[in-house]
Parts: sequence; structure tokens; C-alpha cells
Amino acid sequence: MGLIKSPKPQPTNEDVRRRGRDCDALVAQLEDANPMARRWAARDLTDCPGASAALVGRLSREPDPSVRDVIFTTLTALGDDPAVAGLVECLNSEDAALRNEAIEAMKQLPEKVAPIMRGLLLNPDQDVRIFAVNILESLRHPDVEFWLIGVIESDPDLNVCGTAVDLLGEVGSEASREPLVRLKKRFADQPYIQFAVDLALTRISQN
Amino acid sequence: MVISNISDLDFEKFREFFYRKTGIQFEASKRYFVDKRLMERIELTECTSFRQYFTKLRFEASGEELQQLTNLMTVNETYFFREEYQFRCLVESILPELTSRKRDRSPIRIWAIPSSSGEEPYSIALYLLEYWSGINNWDIEIISSDIDTRILAQARAGLYSDRSVQHLPEKLLRKYFRKTEKGYQLDGTLRDAVEFTRVNLSERGDTRAYRGFDVIFCRNLLIYFDDVSRKAAAETFFDAMKPGSYICLGHSESMSRFSSLFKVRKFPEAIVYQRPLEGA
Repeated sequence: MGLIKSPKPQPTNEDVRRRGRDCDALVAQLEDANPMARRWAARDLTDCPGASAALVGRLSREPDPSVRDVIFTTLTALGDDPAVAGLVECLNSEDAALRNEAIEAMKQLPEKVAPIMRGLLLNPDQDVRIFAVNILESLRHPDVEFWLIGVIESDPDLNVCGTAVDLLGEVGSEASREPLVRLKKRFADQPYIQFAVDLALTRISQN
Repeated sequence: MVISNISDLDFEKFREFFYRKTGIQFEASKRYFVDKRLMERIELTECTSFRQYFTKLRFEASGEELQQLTNLMTVNETYFFREEYQFRCLVESILPELTSRKRDRSPIRIWAIPSSSGEEPYSIALYLLEYWSGINNWDIEIISSDIDTRILAQARAGLYSDRSVQHLPEKLLRKYFRKTEKGYQLDGTLRDAVEFTRVNLSERGDTRAYRGFDVIFCRNLLIYFDDVSRKAAAETFFDAMKPGSYICLGHSESMSRFSSLFKVRKFPEAIVYQRPLEGA
């Protein structure tokens, strides 16, 4: 017994595995009974530009969190319109884990998410609007403050505005000051907004 | 011709390309570090402009220049018994738990990535030999990988400076090293006990064959990755690990920040992450 040397694992650029690795075969393997096969299929679909729809289709039915994780990573890597549409669809899900993973994935796609952000912030469902503000939390895009100001100027919901105010406390500049004061007047009878706005204004001053 | 600077646009182009190829993201604060090395390679390859060098980097069939540059860009500073508490955790908590659960007598497999110049995998080997009585009952395989071929050659050679061995107990230094004019030469048997391999963690073809590990050490590597690459690396590790196996990250790194695939395990010596047991 003791330290022994193992055979060196060989890189496998050319795939010599049991099953086909072309895009159609990989899509079919998303339905495999073995989670490891599904995980590898989802990972290898990164090289298949048309695969987003199939991945999105699998996402809502996928019971294994480790496979779901890889599907999200691949959708982020593909980052095309069907991928983004699929991620948006997840925001309506009752499954909190699925929603949160979609939010994390969308944060990584600022250029793709930017054109649809306004629509998300105007969604009739207030939960979706809150999730959209959550996406802005770490979306690397120059318009984040502009979008947040838009929310506090017009959104009728207290919680959506409150979420935006919290974030403005972190990312807001002098440009946010007046809109915040106006929000305070709009929700003059809401102690939560009064408190949150004061806190955000203090933080902006400190910055 | 000597290039005197790298323009902002060229830096951005390079940064984006290098990230795609290696998963390593350079922040603006690393600009001087990156520029200096780029200019060095431009000169050494006798390119006359960044553009010419960049074309070589991107389209050279052998990929040799990309490898050279990667070697230069990766940081390889470490020493024996760095973050020793994790090795203590390995012998006092992880391996006892693992062996009590293990149903067969197959070797326990450990993967240390990045290997850097070998201090970490050799520290693991030393620790096992010196502080784990189970070594008499179990076979252990240690594989260690790095993206940098030059540093792998250095690791295989096992020759170390005073600084590298400064935290080793005197007893172990005398037992496993021989002082030479060039530095401390690690014992040949120990050098032979570790398999060194070249792996780019961001390259699926490279990592696909890495399966069935019981313990992974990946310390102070993911801090150089951005969120997407970190998440992809976590998924790669997940597939490289057996159910119920363990992964140790650097003290400033937390798996929970970028992946929910692993269970947090708080052992008395350290926090490590565990791939859940099947059906758990």
C-alpha cells in the first residue's frame, strides 16, 4: 500500500465515445435516463449554435439540479435570442431555484438582455418586474441607473419601487437624487419607502 | 522593432481572446502585467506590430505561441505546506470519512490543479506519508495538472529554492530533500509518485478524461476566473468527482458563490465542498 502512479488521463479532442456527438445526437441525449449523459450532452451543445430551443425545452422538465446547472451555463454561452427568450420564460416559473438560476444567467448577458429590459420592467406581473430589477443588480451595462430611475418614476407597485431604491443606494449617482425625492412624495404614506429612500440618498451622498 | 505600448483597443481585443481560450480574465488593474508580457513576446517572435502577433496567436496551427504566452501570463507562486490546515483536514477528517464509506479496495484518487511548480501535490504526498496511518492500508494516486507546460517540467524536476521549503519542518526537509548547489532536490521516489499532466480547465477536450476522483485540490485558481468560467469549472469538477467526494478551494474562495452543486462541509480543520452522495 502507499503512493502509486496511475495511467495518465488522455485528452479526447476527437470524440470516441459510445454515442454520437453531432448536434442532433446531443439533443436526443438530453432525454437520456442517465443524468451524466444528459449533463455531458448539455455541455457539448455549447458547440451547436441552434441548440438553445432544445435546451430551453428540456429545462422545465429536467429533474436533476446538476444537469439544470449545465443547461444554464450552455444557454449563457450560446446567448442567442432563443436562449434569452427561454431564460425570460423561466422568470414566470413557480420554481424559485429555476427563476434564480435564470436571473443569474441573464446577468451574464448584458448585451442581449439590454434590448428587452424595458419590456421586463413594464411586465404586468409585479414579480417579474422585481426579478428584472434583481437582474440589474449586477448587469454590466451603462444604462442600469437610467432603468432604475424609470422604475421609481413610474412603477405603481411599492415592492418593485423598494427593490429599485435599494439598488440605487448602491449604484445611484446625483442623477437619482431628484427622482428619489419625487418617489418619497408619491408614497408619502409608506414608512418603508420613506426609510429606504432616505438610506439611498445618504449612500449616494457618501459616494 | 520594439513595440513601446499596447493600445486600449488592442488590450481589449487580447483580453477577450485570452479569456475565451483559457477562462482567465484580466482586470484593468492587471494592465501593466499583461502589456509587459505581450510586448516581450512580440519582440521575441520578431513580430512588427500587435496586429501581426495577434494573428499569429489566433491562427498558428501548432498553438505553440499561445502556450508560450499562457505560460507567461499564469502566476506560479507557491510553497510547501501552504494553507497547511487543508492537508491536516485531508488526513484527519476527509480520508477517515471517505475510507469508512468506501466499499472496495480501489486506489483513492487525488487531483491537484493547478500543480504550479509541484509544491502542492508533493505537499499532499508528504503529508500522507508522514501523517496518515491509513497509507499502510490504502493505495493513493496523485495526479496534478497545469495549463503551463514550462512549470510542469519544473514540477517534474522537483528542485526548490529556500523560499519554497521554508515552511517545511526540518525533519521532513532532511528526510525528503537533498541540498544541492542549485537548491533543494526532492527525493526521486516522491517525484515518481505524482503524475503531472497538462490540462486547460476551460477546454472540454482536456478535462473529459478526468473522472473518478475522491479528492480535488483547486486552490487559488478560480480567483483568476470570471463568474461564467468559475461556474463552468465547478461543473467540470462535478463530473470529475465520484459521488460523495470532496473538493478543497483556496481560503478566499467559496464554491457557494458560483455553484449550488456542492454541499458545504465544515470539518474542524477547514471548510470543504462535497459532491452529494447519489440519492442523498
